[in-house]
This record gives sequence, structure tokens and C-alpha cells, in this order.
Amino acid sequence: MNHLIGVSDIFEDLEKIGRYLPDLVNGFMMMMGMYIFALAFGFGLGLIVAIARHYGGRISSRIATAFIEFMRGTPLVAQILAVTILPYAINIWLEAQGLPPFDVSWRVTILDVYGIQRTILNTRILLCMITLGLNSGAYQAEFFRGSLSSLAAGQTLAAQSIGMTKRQEIRHIALPQGLRRAIPSWANEAVYLPKYITVAYFVGVPELFGAAKLVATRTYEALLVYGLIAIVFLVLISAISFLLDYLYKRIRIPGL
Amino acid sequence: MVVLEVKDVWKAYDTLEVLKGISFEVNEGEVKVIFGPSGSGKSTLLRVINMLTPPEKGEVLLRGQSLMDPKADLSKLRSHIGFVFQNFNLFTHLKAIDNVSIGPRLVLGMTKEEAEEAAYKALEHVRMNEWSNHYPAELSGGQQQRVGIARSLAMDPDVILFDEPTSALDPELIGEVLQVMLDIAKEGTTMVVVTHEMGFARAVSTEMIFMDKGVVVERGTPQHFFTNPESERARTFLHKLEVLYGQAEREMNSQ
Repeated sequence: MNHLIGVSDIFEDLEKIGRYLPDLVNGFMMMMGMYIFALAFGFGLGLIVAIARHYGGRISSRIATAFIEFMRGTPLVAQILAVTILPYAINIWLEAQGLPPFDVSWRVTILDVYGIQRTILNTRILLCMITLGLNSGAYQAEFFRGSLSSLAAGQTLAAQSIGMTKRQEIRHIALPQGLRRAIPSWANEAVYLPKYITVAYFVGVPELFGAAKLVATRTYEALLVYGLIAIVFLVLISAISFLLDYLYKRIRIPGL
Repeated sequence: MVVLEVKDVWKAYDTLEVLKGISFEVNEGEVKVIFGPSGSGKSTLLRVINMLTPPEKGEVLLRGQSLMDPKADLSKLRSHIGFVFQNFNLFTHLKAIDNVSIGPRLVLGMTKEEAEEAAYKALEHVRMNEWSNHYPAELSGGQQQRVGIARSLAMDPDVILFDEPTSALDPELIGEVLQVMLDIAKEGTTMVVVTHEMGFARAVSTEMIFMDKGVVVERGTPQHFFTNPESERARTFLHKLEVLYGQAEREMNSQ
């Protein structure tokens, strides 16, 4: 039977997939939750790291540089695998020392819209989100640093000349200008990140791609399932791009 | 009363000696004009005064307090020294009024209302109050520079340093900036001005300082410089300025 020919066939196939819609919807929600967390976590971390690298003394700028190079220089999959295995490794060691191990069996569950009990948070998901946030933070730091170092030197001179401290200058002059300027390049990270989240599938987090893989193996409709997922991503990424573009235009400095 | 003392300051960029032992004093209400060929160290001298470029040697004192003292609160001392830049350097993301009020608010600790009132007054002073809600990029060079002057005035400083405030302006915009500078000079503002605007120097300066190659070559009243400068360097330099402006004037008249 050829799945690509015949409209009725496609409807039949879609119906088959439709039975797994709750899994796909929950996968999507899981992905969005992880995305928003990692982006926000990475934003805060990225700002701190960028400021430390750009304005910091010798020691803090070196620590910031080392962090960035490590996170960008090692594969994300390896980072996630290593971090999610960490609590078990620690527990083995703790038990060997005769100490009580950490509780890794905790979980937060909710009833989803279909009335099915779903785990929305456990050790593994949490560690995954943090790793993604750390990784994203390293990339975001570089976008922020780039825009901070592109600010005109005269702005710093002017801030110093009216007696602002370094802290005041960073807070009131450099960041408002630097963050505006960072939006177009930072948008790269914002649209990459949802796709990076799929890596969580490797450690068994039921995000969208993990759910899709499950549905594909159960229904044998790989092409259709992955095609649908591709469309979901396309729409999501386009929406993020559009939003950021709107934001950029909205807060741009008049006359510049 | 002495407001600012510059004592034997030296500054080098690598092996290039830019300032070789400059000293002068500025008294309350005085207007010092510093002039000289490009590369003579005038701008560096101004930056050295408020430590935007710290000197290697020498001393700068504001009302007797050293700016080079490692224990000195440099930010606080700087807040008493206004600085007007050649390229204006207004904060690009702030409206004119906020450019002027941010100093009083953050540095002088005024409330938002007090700072805005001070800023509005300063903008009125430079006749820019009607433009207070415009961003720098929406203003002409002359307007930006006047906001720059207002930004200094709002801090109520002991002295204002002007680093070639009209050199980046189109000729037809120079007048409005010079007029504001003349006004505040006549009101008794203590000023150190690096400029080639000899009309301004003649009108208000109490002393002119001619610099070349990092040293003070000659100093004296405008009267002295415009009638009978002693050094050959000053004479040739003033002559060149005269030829330049004289030519421009002749061209204007012949049109």
C-alpha cells in the first residue's frame, strides 16, 4: 500500500496518528516548558557571564571565558548524558561510603487535558533543563558580549565624566544599549534552542521529538509523523522570529 | 580662589610623549583657552585632568583634593568636573531630558522630580527645552552639543572642560554652540576650553595657553596673543588660522 497516494489513505493515516495526539500535545508542552526555562535561565546566566568577561578583572573574565569555551566546545548530547547520569554516580559513591543516597525517585505529576496522569518534572527532566540552560547561557553570553563590545567608547567616557560608577554605567548605559543591539543575533539562539531541546530525547525525556518517535514506531507512519513535527517546528520558529523582529522594531532607539 | 591645579603632568603612549610637564592653575570664574596644532596634546591634557586618561607623572588637584590619590573617590570628584566632548557623546538611548537628568539622579542622588527640574532648567539655559523629548539621533550636531553642555551644567560643576566643542560641527551650526558658551562664560562659569575659535577666545578668555609638541610654548592674555605673540611657533600658527579664516571671509564677501 502506498501511503503517499490517495487522499483517503492520508486521512486514514492521520486518524491512526490522532489516537496518539495526547502524547504529541504533551510532548509539545514539555518541549515548550524546557525551552522557556532554558532560554530564561540562559539569559540571566549569559548576562552575568558576558559582563564578567567584558568588564571583569583578570580572574572573573578568565572563569567566564573558560565556562564559555567548555560549554561551546563539548557536544550537547555528551553534556546531557553526563549530567543526567551524575546523580546515579553520586549515589553509588555515597552508598559505597555507607551514606544515605539522594532521592532520585521524586516526580511531579499532573492530570493532562485528556485526563491522563503525566510526569512533568523529575530529576532527569530537571537536570536536562539546567544543562540546556547552561549551554544556552554560554552562547547567549557571546551574543551579549559582542554587542557590549560594539558600543561606542564615547558612551563610557561620557558616563565616567559625569561621575557614574562602573556599576551605574553598566546598568544604565551599556546594558540598555547593548541588549537592544543584541536582539538580531540573539534571535539565532532563540530559534536554535527549540531544536536543541530534541536532544533530551536521548535520555528519555518525553518531549515532542521523543513522543514523535514513539508514535512513529507504533503506527509505522514515520514519514507522516516526522512531517507533522517538521511543520510544528516551522510554525513555532517562524512565530519566535516574528515576535523578536517585532520587539526589535518596537524598542529600537528613534532616529538611529 | 583656585579651582583646578595641574602640576607638571606627563603622559606617553608607548614611546610617544604626548604631555611633557604641563602646569597651570584655573581660578574661580576664569576661562582658559588652550590652542595649538593638532597632535600637540590638548585633548589628552583635558582627559588627563579628569583621569579619563590617567597621567604617568604629576598631579591634578580640584579645590585642593588630588584626583590621583588612590584613596580619592574618583567618581565623586569627576562629578564636579564637567566635560563637553568633540563628538558630543550623548547617551544614544535616552531623550535629551534624560541625558541631562541621569547625572543629577544617579550621581547627585536627586529624586526623579528634582533631577528632571534641574535638567529642564539646564536645557532652557542652552535653549533646548523645546527639544527635551527628542532622542540624540533626531537632533542636529549643534543641538546635540548644546544638550551636551546642558548635561554638564545640570551637575553644577566647579569647572567645565570643553574638548574642541565645535570642531565636529558644520560651519552654520558652530554659532549656536559658541553663543551658549559665551553666555555661560559671561555668567561666571569656570571653563577650560580647547578650541581654535579665536573670536570666542578674544571675547571671553582670561588667559590663552599655546601648546605645541606636549609643552606650553607661550601663555598670555588674548590682547597679548593677538597683538604681539613672542614665540615664532605661536606667531606662525596664529597667522595660519588668520589666513584660513581671512580667506573664508574674503570668499564670502566676493560672493
